[in-house]
Amino acid sequence: MATQLDDPRIIEFDVRTDEMLVNMGPQHPSTHGVLRLVLRTDGEIVSEVEPHIGYLHRCAEKIGENLTPRQWIPYTDRMDYLAGMNMNLGWALAVEKLVDHELSEKAKHLRVILAEMGRIASHLVGMGAYGLDLGTFSPFLYAFREREKILDLFEEACGARLTYSYLTPGGATADLPNGWLQKCEAFLEQFEPIIQEYHALLTTNAIFVKRTASIGVMSPEMAVDFGCTGPVLRGSGVDYDLRRDGEERYTEMYDGYAFEVIVQKDGHYPRDHDYPAVPKEAVLGDCWHRFYVRMLEVVQAIDIVRQAIDRYSTASGDYGVPIKLTQKLPKGEAYLETESPRGQMGFYLISHGDSIPWRVRARSSSFCNLSVTSDLCRGCLIADVPAIVGSLDLVMGEIDR
Amino acid sequence: MSPTVADFFHNSFRLPESLAYLTAAVIHCVLIILVVAVGALLFIWLERKVSGRIQDRLGPTRVGGAFGWLQTLADGIKLIAKEDITPKDADWLLFKLAPYIGFAASYCAYIALPFADGWAARHMNTAVFFILAVLGIEVFSPILAGYASGSKWSLFGAIREAAQVVSYEVPLGMCVVVPVFLCGTMNLVTIGNMQAGLFTNWLVFNDPFTFVIAVVYFTCATASVNRAPFDLAEAESELVAGFHTEYSGLRWSFFFMAEYGSMFLVSGLAAILFFGGWHGPIPIGEILGDFLAYVVTPLVGIVAWLLSFVFKNVHTADHVAVAGHIANSLGCLNFLLKGLIGVTVMMWVRWTLPRLRIDQVMTTCLKYCVPIAAICFLGALGWRVADWTTGADIPLVGIHYGKGGRGMVRESWVEQTQSAKVAENDVPDAPITDPNASDGPTGSVEQSPDELLTMKGGDQ
Amino acid sequence: MMLLAAEVAPSFWHGFFFVFFALLTCGFALGVLFSNNIVRMAFYLVLSLGASAGLFFLAGAEFVGAMQLMIYVGGTLVLLIFGVMLTAQSRFISMKTPSGEWVLGVAVGGCLLLLLLSVAFQVKDWRTPRGKGGLSLEDSKTSSQIGMAFTGVRVDKLDQKNEQLAGGMSGYLLPFVIVSVHLLVVLVGAAYMARTKRRATATGAVG
Repeated sequence: MATQLDDPRIIEFDVRTDEMLVNMGPQHPSTHGVLRLVLRTDGEIVSEVEPHIGYLHRCAEKIGENLTPRQWIPYTDRMDYLAGMNMNLGWALAVEKLVDHELSEKAKHLRVILAEMGRIASHLVGMGAYGLDLGTFSPFLYAFREREKILDLFEEACGARLTYSYLTPGGATADLPNGWLQKCEAFLEQFEPIIQEYHALLTTNAIFVKRTASIGVMSPEMAVDFGCTGPVLRGSGVDYDLRRDGEERYTEMYDGYAFEVIVQKDGHYPRDHDYPAVPKEAVLGDCWHRFYVRMLEVVQAIDIVRQAIDRYSTASGDYGVPIKLTQKLPKGEAYLETESPRGQMGFYLISHGDSIPWRVRARSSSFCNLSVTSDLCRGCLIADVPAIVGSLDLVMGEIDR
Repeated sequence: MSPTVADFFHNSFRLPESLAYLTAAVIHCVLIILVVAVGALLFIWLERKVSGRIQDRLGPTRVGGAFGWLQTLADGIKLIAKEDITPKDADWLLFKLAPYIGFAASYCAYIALPFADGWAARHMNTAVFFILAVLGIEVFSPILAGYASGSKWSLFGAIREAAQVVSYEVPLGMCVVVPVFLCGTMNLVTIGNMQAGLFTNWLVFNDPFTFVIAVVYFTCATASVNRAPFDLAEAESELVAGFHTEYSGLRWSFFFMAEYGSMFLVSGLAAILFFGGWHGPIPIGEILGDFLAYVVTPLVGIVAWLLSFVFKNVHTADHVAVAGHIANSLGCLNFLLKGLIGVTVMMWVRWTLPRLRIDQVMTTCLKYCVPIAAICFLGALGWRVADWTTGADIPLVGIHYGKGGRGMVRESWVEQTQSAKVAENDVPDAPITDPNASDGPTGSVEQSPDELLTMKGGDQ
Repeated sequence: MMLLAAEVAPSFWHGFFFVFFALLTCGFALGVLFSNNIVRMAFYLVLSLGASAGLFFLAGAEFVGAMQLMIYVGGTLVLLIFGVMLTAQSRFISMKTPSGEWVLGVAVGGCLLLLLLSVAFQVKDWRTPRGKGGLSLEDSKTSSQIGMAFTGVRVDKLDQKNEQLAGGMSGYLLPFVIVSVHLLVVLVGAAYMARTKRRATATGAVG
């Protein structure tokens, strides 16, 4: 066993044995796809973790330079495949910023509904998969049970369950079908009490707390230094959420919505009154906090969707007609970041005046979040590696693009 | 000495003695194989059903009818048909042998496990100890498999398994010792029979300490058979599959047969040591004694009479034995049910809790289980010495051992030594040297070892 | 339903299993000698010791047999293999015994074997074959006797005529406890000595 000294880079060994290089992945049950971690271990203690990426690289960005913005929408679905709606939204907003397209009220609220539902669906997978990383199988299926209901709703809206291609530059491909809002409300009504189930199974579970509290502690400075975003950043106590602090074009979607950024202030989270208190063992910035931030964001997203449904049904305008497939893009460049479930998802495009952008790039949130693994995992046990990597909630499709 | 199965074959079928013994041995082996193999079939199916229900799923529904109860058989056929792969870096001999060691150890331990009063393949005086010793050997299977696989993940699993099982044997042994000293014997049949009567007679309700000990035992047993939340050796989220990463097909399935075999074994041991063994919570047999005496026994008599046409050597005195066997069958059902409950609880825990980390597993063992077991061990001992009220003192139906009666079991060797000595001393000149010898077993010759051992005469 | 608990076990199977276990014991002992791989050696030792436990069971000494399994097979050898796994370097994986060590080993082992054989042939009972009736395989009472002997009650000497001796024969409990405490102290000390603390930077270089 190693004893951690003040300097985290120095590990004290009781009995030193040979070091071993172990490949965790790309075929490994707990690396969420095809992440490959090369661990340097001394027995159970990990001294170094080196992530290797690129196993899911599909040249999405290069393809984007050969397609018109609307044609590229299906490729954004396949980036963060767990939150396709939010990827669609990010690209759509970036393109709209370039062509300076203004949306109707109704279209904005439609996007809020779908983006927040997408957030719930994504966090559900993150929650369930995290349970799987820690060795409990049941929460995963409980999460998928609810996620399937969201996917049913999405399917009804756009015909697809995973790769939606629904929100496009200019608006959405179609309006929500009749009765969809009622079904959505009924789902939220049914879903909200179930969250307590997840807390009982995971958040307050003694073993879960032992496995996550004080593990992989990331200081706010470190989180900022590494460019971490999303729940990983807020789990470290940094009060930053693009839905509030982002660009005008993005934040105006949320204008008039009552919501708070989920971040710990004075030892308390907003809206945690119904939910378990922070356990004593937990330190701000550890795996438990990152997990808990996601759980609370689900609750908050439910609230936002409810508000959006009210506004959508009374809003003026239409759902937003997509821009023409071959519309010429004005000369110039545009970059816009949105708050996707995993953090800041930025899309960048440069146009030389064609209908096809000259350059397309994406800034992936998981990519930056992944970069902290080797620092967080230094000196931990092998069993902590899945716990830490799982708490970052990585999606390889987004990292490798 | 009651007639053995071998005697039965020898007497009734006129088999030569060695053949009779061989037949008897084969029958015992097949019965235990049935328990282990069919048990594994049942438990794997049960695991899938239980996990399915816990997770809002149905589990298997198709193979073999409505409940998919033949699903495991289909799985088994698939496993047999699968290619048996040996990795290039493997130590082929150990790699091929490792699965059988675990299975053999798990199987061997059943030899001493009584399924009902006297229904054990080998009636051992030290059955508890034997089972613990043999269970300890099972650890070789994962260790050797992990080493021989030539895979780093397997090696990690093996190291974890070795550290964990060796550590958990300590509290496990401490927990098992408590029923042993309360009953004064390591004979599982005797321990089981001492808990006859109402469920308050069960050792788990003997005093508060034994209650805690039962819980600690179950925790340690779960850990020692490598079930979640202690299934670190095969932690799929960390070590891919741990020690059996490189295994496929039939060899892989042997690990599972061994795992489910030992799951039932430790549950069965818990049932005998703490939960009354083959005795139900309410002694229905005793309550319905009259009914049995007037209705069932004559029926049994008729059956036995009919049987006597087939087996000429069955004497009328055996009718009683036949009735005993029927009662024993019910007891066996009772025991199987208790074991099954234990296994189901293990499954329930597995599908609910996350997995512990290796250092936490060790902490649980060395910082919690060992001290708690030690304190409860002393507590139960103190309770016993202080002669305080035990669960068995609560007014109940059936057998009552009296205050402190349990544990005052006179070991059979003492009695035998005494009776042998009485006989020895009596034959030539008993009336002259010892006037009290005519009193029989309470003669003075018997007194000296009694005083020596400070043992009161028990009911046994 | 007891299988072999009869007073007289049939000599055929008894003899058969005696030879079977004896061959296993000796065969795997030779396996330990002639194997090159240290883990295989340990494995053969497991089988050899397990088979000798089988001999104990065959002789009706269940307690001693279970003890053999628990202490030697389940305890010592697990630690041995554990240690081998932790420390095994490539030179242990295939070990070659130099011929000088062979000579030395044969000399020492041969002396021990001769001693044992000569002692064995001096036991009178072992030289005359027993009749069928003499083969007693009672359930073993060894555990109780050993336990009582620890506390000073010698069951095998219950018919001690001497009053003083019968009352207070010295037990083995105290020496046993002293030895075990001593062992514990040694273990703790060894663990402490092994904790040679070294500092290493996380990248692996010893600093």
